[in-house]
Parts: sequence; C-alpha cells; structure tokens
Amino acid sequence: MSSHYDTIVIGAGPAGLTAGSCLAEFGLKVLILDEQNRIGGQIYRNVENASEENLQKMGEEYRRGLKLSERFRKSGAEYLGNASVWNVEPEGRVCYSKDGVSERITANYIILATGAMERPIPIPGWTLPGVMGAGAVNGLSKDADLCPSGTVVLAGSGPLLLLEAALLIEKKVKIAAILETTPKIPSPAVLTHVLKALLGTAFLWKGVKMILDIRKSGVPHYKGVTNLKALGETAVTGVEADCGSKKLNFSAEMLLLHFGVIPDSHIYRLLGCHMKWDQNQRYWYPSTDEWGRTNFEKIFGAGDGTGVSGALAAEFKGELAALEVTRCFGIIPEYERDRLAGPVLDALKKDSYPRPLVDAFFAPDPKRFTFDDATVLCRCENVTVGDVRNIVSQGVTDLNEVKAMKRCGMGPCQGRMCGPALGEIVAAELDTSIARAGLLTIRPPLKQIPLQEIAAMDIVSDGVDPANLFKNQSKKADH
Amino acid sequence: MFKHDPTTTSTVEIILDGQTIAVPGEMNVAAALLAIGKIISRISPTSEKPCSPHCLMGVCFECLMEIDGVRRQACMTPIRDGMVINRNLKDIQRGQS
Repeated sequence: MSSHYDTIVIGAGPAGLTAGSCLAEFGLKVLILDEQNRIGGQIYRNVENASEENLQKMGEEYRRGLKLSERFRKSGAEYLGNASVWNVEPEGRVCYSKDGVSERITANYIILATGAMERPIPIPGWTLPGVMGAGAVNGLSKDADLCPSGTVVLAGSGPLLLLEAALLIEKKVKIAAILETTPKIPSPAVLTHVLKALLGTAFLWKGVKMILDIRKSGVPHYKGVTNLKALGETAVTGVEADCGSKKLNFSAEMLLLHFGVIPDSHIYRLLGCHMKWDQNQRYWYPSTDEWGRTNFEKIFGAGDGTGVSGALAAEFKGELAALEVTRCFGIIPEYERDRLAGPVLDALKKDSYPRPLVDAFFAPDPKRFTFDDATVLCRCENVTVGDVRNIVSQGVTDLNEVKAMKRCGMGPCQGRMCGPALGEIVAAELDTSIARAGLLTIRPPLKQIPLQEIAAMDIVSDGVDPANLFKNQSKKADH
Repeated sequence: MFKHDPTTTSTVEIILDGQTIAVPGEMNVAAALLAIGKIISRISPTSEKPCSPHCLMGVCFECLMEIDGVRRQACMTPIRDGMVINRNLKDIQRGQS
C-alpha cells in the first residue's frame, strides 16, 4: 500500500473498474477503493465467483461483468476492498476506514464512481421487518444464493422492478402480486420517444420478453396502483393498495419496493460539487463536463453517480474520464485522447437511444407520491411526514433547518433514506421548486467510524491540520 | 423468509447474542443471518421497534449491529469464523409494550 497514487478511483462497478483498468493500462499508478469486498458494484455483484447457474439466470448483461473483471485483473490497477471512504477533499486527499483502521492517502486525480441507489419512497409500514428493496433481494441472490422462501409482493415502478419480478418467477418464488405505480396509459411524452428507442431494439426486445414472461406466469399484475401500505405489527403480514376504485389486499411475508434508481450523491455533496436537479427523473446529480470533470479540477465523476444511464453507459463514461485524466498527465496528447474517445462516444450515443423512452415511461410523477402525515419519513430518527409539514407550516423554509429542528436526516444514514422525499415534501408544502428547497448538507465522516480510529491516524502535516478533516467544505464552494 | 442452498458455501461458527451458531460463510454478515432466518437486525433506538436489513448495499444503516465490539453495517462486513455479534434485542420487549 502506498500513500500516494496517480489516480484513486472510488467504487468498483462498471464505471470504476473501466476507469481504473484504462488508467493502469497507460502505466499510471491506480488504486480502486471499494466498500464491498468483491469487485463488480451492484450490477456485477460477485460476478467473479458466480456459479454457472447464476450467470445463466442473470443473463448476458450480468456475464458482461466477467469481461470487465478480466480486463481489470490484467491491467495492474490495485484494488482495496472493504474500504469505506469517509472523506474526500478537492485537493485530492481521501480518508478511508478498513478493518478498524483509518488512513489518509492522496492522489493527483480522483474519479468518483459511486453508482446509484434505489430511490427511497416512504410508504406506511415501510419500516416493518420484511420490507426490502427489490435491488436488495437481487443482490442477495448474486452474493449469497439467497432466495425469498415465503410469499412476496413487489411494488413500485421502473424496469428493475419487472426484471426482479421475472427473476423471482423463474425461481418459482410465490408472488402474491406485482403492484406497479406507473400509470396504465403512457403519457404523450412517452410516445415521442418511441421512434428513437426502436434504434436500440435489442434492449427493447429484452423488455418485451420480460413482460411476456410475467404475463405467462399468471401472477396478478396491477398498474396505476396508489396508496401502497405495508401491514403488520412487528413484521410484514400483508400489503394494501388502491387500483382505481378497487381496494387490493394481499397476505405476504415480504414486500419488495423499488421506485427506480437515483445517483448516490453524498461524496459529491460533501466535496461541494455543483449539483443539478433533473426535473424529469427527479434527482440531483453533479454537474460535469463531457469527460466527467466536476467543478474541481482534480475530481471526476463517472457512471450512474453522475446521472442514471445504466451499466454500459457507466463503462463508457469510466473510459472517457480515464482518457481525459491520462491526457492531463501528459501521457497522451489531445488528438490521441479524441481519437481513442471517438468509438466510446459513438457507443455511448447508441446505448442512449432507448433511454428517453424508458425514462419517460417510468418517470416519477410527484402527484402520485401520497405522503401521509403518519408515515415515517426519517427511519433513523423516527420523524414522520406530519412532523416535517408541521415545522414547515411554522415558517421553516430550508431542508437543513428542518434537520436541525426535527432531526430528520441526522441519524446514521445521514439523510440517504429520507433526503429525496424530504425535498419533495418541503417543496410541495412551500409550493416552490425542489432546487429552491435545497439539499441536506453533507459533512465528513460519510460513514460512521469510531473516534479512536481518527485519534490513531497518522496525519502528516501538509497544511491541513487534523481538526479540519471535519470542516464544512460545501460552504467554501461558491454556489 | 429466505432459503439458501447449503451446498454452495462453507459454514462458519459465530457467537450471535451470546450463543454459538453455525452460519454460511463467504458472504456478508447480514446475508448470513438472513440465511438462517434471523431477519431482525436491531431494535431502533428511536422508535424502539425491530428493524430488518432494507437496502443491503450500505445505504440505509438498518442492519447496524455490534460486530466484534464495534457498531458496523452488517451488509458491508464479511462474515468470519469466530465473530462475536450482538444485536442487542433484549430491548425488544420494551419496544413491543
């Protein structure tokens, strides 16, 4: 382990692996820091150890992870798993914790490839044991060969919900119902994207096959579902919802929720990167140039963390960021970077054809979010939607003020689970835009670490004293 | 709640809430406990109600457990032979009352 690298990549999914491999192939000294202990990120979780059966079930898309891992293993990039990054500074310093020891290392450039997370949407009863993300169950199957054994209800919206439903059907899991919150009749906005999407037919075919498989299985499948509710006292026992005028009620031991994915933006916000609001997909993403550079010269972003566009696009974005970093080092001239980037940009463009259709089809509609006053919004601190509305009605206008007064977003997850919905609720209450309502301020440590770890750190004096590890960097940035 | 094919992984012994117990290895702590039907991860200190892992990718912090003396995210910690894990569920009665 060295304390300085040419480039540190954070995250080992498609973007991180590709960026790391590409840089190492140019002879740069690269370290990939990964919070998991095995490469692959979420999409290619555990792909290197996957059984042939799992590879087959998860399909060609999953198998592609093997290609990335092969390239990465040959490239000479270093990998450090189980390393939780808890601070990143724009000057190129990274603090991480591994096995109870925290280290601070430096790099000339940092590529953030933190990926995406499932969009947390609070519904009544979502804190009950047995309510899980659909992606969580997908990960358990890749990681640990675990498969739900009781009756399951899948609810929410987005292609991954249907994908997981199709996988569980294939595994003969008992599914009581699939409850899609996506409206039955696509909005006119969807239709304008159909032509372009036809250019990416392979992708569409996959979707059509998936939907046919679900239909063939005979699993009750409802669309335009509202008022989702998990029932139970100490664990999930059932699920309730409305479909038009119809009241739905199912017995179930598990409720798998999925409302699409959003960029995991905590590191960017900690750094003070300029954030933008995507009005259609309703998420915040960091502002980057075509190569992934943020407003900080040394900080790049790649993959779904910079805006959700899928695993293939993440690879391409990882490659582009790596090419630009290589140019910055003077290893390749600009024209060489552009020559190498040409085919990547073409592939990225081709890959993007079906996306506007999928995005429009599953676009989250804020009018369909029914946040009841009694619903727990902040799971960590047990703050309800009503608590937040109440404080807003008393004149609070900023998310951070809500946090300070109600502790919403102040628990161990640091607003990861409540932040997105908190923004929606405060903006709706104030009848203002999400951009106006703002974002929760993120401070180090990004993940909790025992204080003794920090006390034991060997911090070389290079103009930044240890106390400044916890300064609020975002206030320094001009935005 | 979950079924696990025991032929796919080895087994390790851990001490869970004071009792020695065998769980599948080669996976994270949260998955290993789910595999043996232990779905409750902790008692929420604020609502005093039981929690189970929710995201299994390091986001939600619902699987926080005392692992070898330190409160960690079980889904981000690989299971190891001899691990001492405390979920501190004794408060569960109070939570339900």
